[in-house]
Amino acid sequence: MQASLFEIFKIFFLIGTQLLGGGYVIVPLLKKYIVEERQWLTEDELVDYYAMSQCIPGIIAGNIAICSGYKARKTLGAIMAILGIITPSFFSILILAHIITGIVDYPIVKNAFWGIRVSVIVLILITIKDIWAKSVNSKFTYFMFFLILTALMILPVSPTLIIIISAILALIHYKAAGGKDD
Amino acid sequence: MIKLYLLLFYEFLKIGIFALGGGYAALPFLYYLQTKYDWYTIEELTNMIAVSNITPGPIGINMATYTGYTTAGIIGSIISTIAIVLAPFFITITIIKLFNKFKSCEYVSALFLGLRPASCALLASIGLKLLYETIIYTNEEWSMPFQIDYKSLLLFVLLIIPFSFMKKNPLMVIIAGAAGGILLNSI
Repeated sequence: MQASLFEIFKIFFLIGTQLLGGGYVIVPLLKKYIVEERQWLTEDELVDYYAMSQCIPGIIAGNIAICSGYKARKTLGAIMAILGIITPSFFSILILAHIITGIVDYPIVKNAFWGIRVSVIVLILITIKDIWAKSVNSKFTYFMFFLILTALMILPVSPTLIIIISAILALIHYKAAGGKDD
Repeated sequence: MIKLYLLLFYEFLKIGIFALGGGYAALPFLYYLQTKYDWYTIEELTNMIAVSNITPGPIGINMATYTGYTTAGIIGSIISTIAIVLAPFFITITIIKLFNKFKSCEYVSALFLGLRPASCALLASIGLKLLYETIIYTNEEWSMPFQIDYKSLLLFVLLIIPFSFMKKNPLMVIIAGAAGGILLNSI
């Protein structure tokens, strides 16, 4: 059954409103709405698209929406899917930003945000802890981690440059090690 | 103004291409933009991160919309949101057209062997810099160049110990931080 463009927008809009937090949270939602209820994708395709979305640039949830929309209705479907998923974000942020600008000068709000600043640091450190085991686990990856961290603490290097340099170092390592990681 | 819009578009297009991975991947880029252009303060940036975490929608998109809004109003938010998804859109569609079934080739996993520790290091550097800026502040006086802000240090310890043992729950961390902030500052 051919999905209508409006329905693609609607479903991804719905998924967008239910997304809290990043990355993989979208997978169960996609499974429910577009694999089980609508059969736009098979379960295998979803797994494939998720793996692929992690390896291409961009926000994972956005990429996987683009894949699914494309599968349902080619390029127009992909446009509808990405618009659908960014619309709830867009309006909720605009509303919140507006409210926060209005109240940020009240002492109690100031104090709350003072504390939230510490929360953000804690969230960043917890995130590192969560991705550590699958990111830094061999001689080469330890070397990369400490090399880049040291560089960043000394110089304000642009993250773009860091990503390009690490990609080059990774390929050199791959060639030198003959495809093995030691 | 037009120049600012173009710059915003260019910077977020770049984030779309180079920020790899989930949720927080765009964060180092936004921090770098702060040091490069002064479009927003560090306080505003941390507020934006917090709000993006507890608002529906992908965190990366939320942060793009919010920074665009803070920098250049509603038009700015439209520009940054579109710019961050533009490059991935074309790349994703090209890849699906080229391959019916995605196979992660050897080169891709070799690349990620370098990119994963790089994103870890990028995040770690920001975590450490923010921690340093929050807990230690510098003084003009030469006899006491550094001072420790014991209140934020206390809140940090109170938050990091329980939450590093729990399953990640950004909303709870933010609520606890806000409550701690209000309590500690009213004593």
